[in-house]
Amino acid sequence: MTSSRTADNAILELIGISKNFSGVPALTDVSLDIRAAEVHALLGENGAGKSTLMNIATGMFRPSEGEIRFEGKPLRDFGPHEAQEMGIAIVHQHPAVMPDLTVLENFQVALPRDAFPAGMRDRDYVQTLLDTVKLDVQLNDRVETLSVASKHLLEIAKALALKPKVLVLDEPTAPLGQDSVDMLFGLIREAVATGTSVIYITHRLAEVREVATRVTVLRDGKLRQTSMVSDVSDKELLSLIVGRELESTFPEKRSVPPGVEPNLVVQNLTGEGFQNITITGYPGQIIGLAGVVGNGQSEILRALAGLESFDGSIKIGQLERKQRELRTEAALMPADRQHDGLMMRMSVRENAAVAALKKFTSGLLLSRKKEDLQVAEVFGQLQVKTASPEAVVSSLSGGNQQKVVMSRALLSDPLVILADEPTQGVDVGARAELYRILRTVSESGIPVIVASSDAKELEGLCDTVYVISRGQVVRELHDDEITEQDMVHAAVTSTTRVIDLKKMEAEEKRTNRNSLISKFWRFARGDYAPSLLLLLVIFGLGAYILSTNDKYLNSFNISSMLLLATALGFIALGQTIALLTGGLDLSVGPLAGLLVVVISFFATDEFTLGSLVLGAVAMFAVALAVGFVNGSLIRYVRFTAVAATLGTYIALQGFSFVLRDSPGGSIDTGITSVITYKFGPIPAAFLVLAIGTLIMEWLLRKTSWGWKLRAIGSEEEAARRVGVNTNRTVITGYMLTSTFTLFGAVLLMAQLGIGDPSQGIGYTLSSITAVVLGGTSLLGGRGSFVGTLFGAMLLVQVLNATVFLGLDQTWQYVLQGTLILIAAVIYSVARARR
Amino acid sequence: MTETAAKTSRASLFATHKGVSTVALAILAVVVLGALFAPSSVSPGAILGMLPFAAVLAIIGLGQMLVVQQGGIDLSVPGAMSLAIVIISHYPTGDNSLVLPALGIAFLWAVGAGVLNALLIGYIGLNPIIATLGTNALLFGAIIGISGGTPRATAEILRTIAGDRTLGIPHTVFFALIALLVVSLLLKKTVAGRRFEAAGASRPAAFVVGLNVKAFNGMSYVWAQMLYLLGGVLLAGVTSQPTAYMGNSYLLPSVAVVVLGGTSLLGGRGFPLATVLAALFLRQLDQFVLALGVPFAVRTLVQAAAFVIGVAIYTIDWGEVRRRFQSVNRSPSGRKHS
Repeated sequence: MTSSRTADNAILELIGISKNFSGVPALTDVSLDIRAAEVHALLGENGAGKSTLMNIATGMFRPSEGEIRFEGKPLRDFGPHEAQEMGIAIVHQHPAVMPDLTVLENFQVALPRDAFPAGMRDRDYVQTLLDTVKLDVQLNDRVETLSVASKHLLEIAKALALKPKVLVLDEPTAPLGQDSVDMLFGLIREAVATGTSVIYITHRLAEVREVATRVTVLRDGKLRQTSMVSDVSDKELLSLIVGRELESTFPEKRSVPPGVEPNLVVQNLTGEGFQNITITGYPGQIIGLAGVVGNGQSEILRALAGLESFDGSIKIGQLERKQRELRTEAALMPADRQHDGLMMRMSVRENAAVAALKKFTSGLLLSRKKEDLQVAEVFGQLQVKTASPEAVVSSLSGGNQQKVVMSRALLSDPLVILADEPTQGVDVGARAELYRILRTVSESGIPVIVASSDAKELEGLCDTVYVISRGQVVRELHDDEITEQDMVHAAVTSTTRVIDLKKMEAEEKRTNRNSLISKFWRFARGDYAPSLLLLLVIFGLGAYILSTNDKYLNSFNISSMLLLATALGFIALGQTIALLTGGLDLSVGPLAGLLVVVISFFATDEFTLGSLVLGAVAMFAVALAVGFVNGSLIRYVRFTAVAATLGTYIALQGFSFVLRDSPGGSIDTGITSVITYKFGPIPAAFLVLAIGTLIMEWLLRKTSWGWKLRAIGSEEEAARRVGVNTNRTVITGYMLTSTFTLFGAVLLMAQLGIGDPSQGIGYTLSSITAVVLGGTSLLGGRGSFVGTLFGAMLLVQVLNATVFLGLDQTWQYVLQGTLILIAAVIYSVARARR
Repeated sequence: MTETAAKTSRASLFATHKGVSTVALAILAVVVLGALFAPSSVSPGAILGMLPFAAVLAIIGLGQMLVVQQGGIDLSVPGAMSLAIVIISHYPTGDNSLVLPALGIAFLWAVGAGVLNALLIGYIGLNPIIATLGTNALLFGAIIGISGGTPRATAEILRTIAGDRTLGIPHTVFFALIALLVVSLLLKKTVAGRRFEAAGASRPAAFVVGLNVKAFNGMSYVWAQMLYLLGGVLLAGVTSQPTAYMGNSYLLPSVAVVVLGGTSLLGGRGFPLATVLAALFLRQLDQFVLALGVPFAVRTLVQAAAFVIGVAIYTIDWGEVRRRFQSVNRSPSGRKHS
């Protein structure tokens, strides 16, 4: 253990590391040294501290105690970014990818610029990276269309591209098929040959034997042993992994008297993430699902609860049960209590009662008396400790929260109880009580299935255990056969491989990806399909109007339409930026109005060059300040975008009226004519807008500004992990939104010709309409400026069309409404299709 | 352990009523300030003039609250209200006997608009901002189609029902109270209402329990339309010569009162009483600032400030701020990265 201090070829040394999470120790005095060019396997059960240790090594967490040395030098206060720069790369269990960005862009936003070789196009280089991991996807495909396995390969390729000195792989083979696993092992050997050290976290002994030279076992946050793989047998490793002390006491088990009919028969259950699951349960028995977390146990329980669709049959009691019935009659206790299990902001009583409300009715209304009585009764049985049934459930301890979930299940008189990691985050005393309750429930004849990654727990609690690995049952254990040793053995030595249906589908698709149909859908899902659609509609509508009225294309009409479209277009470009970050800016309309009022003090008949410059400076100052306030309220004060920009919306209207309580300050006609200067029928301003749009589009696609902006809108957490400064990007984004609004205001000033405090407000909604028509998603992460420009043009054209077609104002509204709804439906359908 | 549990639960019990107490305090403050600095704002005449509009805003706010608590937002408030106003004043053109049939027509439109929103958002999964924006435009199409944009006087019977007073209290106040009572009762005392609350409080958890979350999300738009209908009809009665665009000025305040009442724009629990009180507060604040004799601009700025402060009260985790402040004071280096 102390050899790490003397190991002269150690590249990364972790010395005496301890880590506490709010007082609870996750790691205690762990020392580990990684030598140059070795594969070091890290073994241990869930919760043994493997991931925590690696998060410390890569700068995500800071250790409570201990020292980290890299290449002999002690490291202090370093973050993931610094770790990456030093040459420590990690491939997380959950890939940090941006689903709305393309494969190419995911590399571009995540890798530092100097990782790309000079004199080679980015896409050619990324293609070579993909080839090394044998990932056969199109560079322009959005990452969301990739299978889980492909996303992992992409992550691995990203990490390898950094040419790290230390590469951490956290259960990399979990989602991969056999070919990819072999390929990955090949890559690991190659990397090691070039001097890279690899830390390999896994649950599988077979893999340890295949790639690792040394192995370290952790248990309960403590170091068990580090040794050469060749020096240690599977049996020894196993005994190091298992054998955790468990303080809880378990209720007595039940053996099944012969001749009893089973009360639960599951046959050939197959669904997303699991297949051919067969389970038989008898009255009074508790059934366990063992295995490493994430091997399909949760999915099986969700299917049994009717939350996911499945093939195969589920018989409870004597009857076959359909998904719909299970959905309302089965009771699931999810592993993630905070998110799926409880409505955290509601009271203890409300949570307990929600699945059984029908029992509490008296006539048409609910009887509070009945409800209180029955809830109190269950709480008494389960010994739920709460100050009052009206306390919010989040104020309870983990154990009592779980008891509330249990109460809810019992009150609903369920067909079956499905408990997923029921004792996670539950203190020892409450654990024993939960075990007792589960036993009592089971004895009452309700089938009980418990999934747990804690084999010791299943050993104490269950009468039958199915060990699940990669979605399949690899072992079935009864009564006395149920030992921690056997379960862990079955899980870690299993050689099953994933049968990833999605991946097969994806591969299928790829084989015929050059067919016309798949090309069509590829385009339809892209960012430019809306633009094409809008162009077609614009020309179609134009042609139709021209056929009924040949004055439509006279130069006056064209230039006035284009001028209107220019004002809206600029503001909508700004709005596009806000939407791309996943936000929204309601304040653009009033801001445009305010800016016109501001300039109306400077650009009157008596204007001088000095006053104009001063006016321009004032406009910029106001616009940038508004953008800064919007962005800061959203990022620092954590307002929702709607709340923040609604606040500035109202305030800006107020400021307009502070400056002018009625229209005034005529804009000099000379200035107006400069702004509306035309080449033939085409206003110069429109050309500026068109060029500006193209530049913005280029920036969005080809520069790191654009990738970062969309990365945040797509998946903020992943963006942060790859090193995007989220606060700064969003705040400057809102400042840019305001700046484009300023350009729109210049056009508006020429149209209005006067500083009118009540104008401009309508631009808020019409800018959102234009952006949405252009195909930019309100969820953030995807869209295009070109689409926005066409959206603005179509909107103006539709309003103009009603005049030429002799339609009344009704049609103006109806066409606008229909347009936006149809566009939104089409885009969402195209997006949903994979 | 039990002691701390009791303490936290008392704190959270308070949190449940934070909306009501906050807004009630705010009303008190405006009234006291009014009595001190602008006595005319608390004169019976001013109060009686303010109440009908506060009542209408309260009803609209309740509708918006139902949508917001399901994680949505309804931008079709202007169209819905204006359509109700137009139908109820245009069809009868002063004929009392035609008011009831007109109400029926308006009801059908409201159901239609609500169902359209529900389908687009609940089933097709459109973003609520886009969907209700589109619906709003369609509703304005109907408004112009029906009325041509010109106002007509409301029938006398409607003016009596909505505009008169009983025992010195404007009728609209009774309607608002009934709306509040019905909404609260349905939410708290019916199976569907409690499930509705649960679906808003946590979509994933409600899904696990077996609730049809999409249906509850969608239905909120239908219920909201019923309240917009009521609000619109009352407004038509209160203002004898309503215009076709009166609903426009209710969109932002409707969102504001929901937020001021403590309902999160991200969804969660709705607070009907606090929402209604927030409507009262907003209108009385208007009266106060008006009575001070300041220009319209300042009134708007005061509203903005009230809104931002209101959101900040609920958004910022003040306990966290206090803790951080204390820990900074005690140990400048401590817990920086936690």
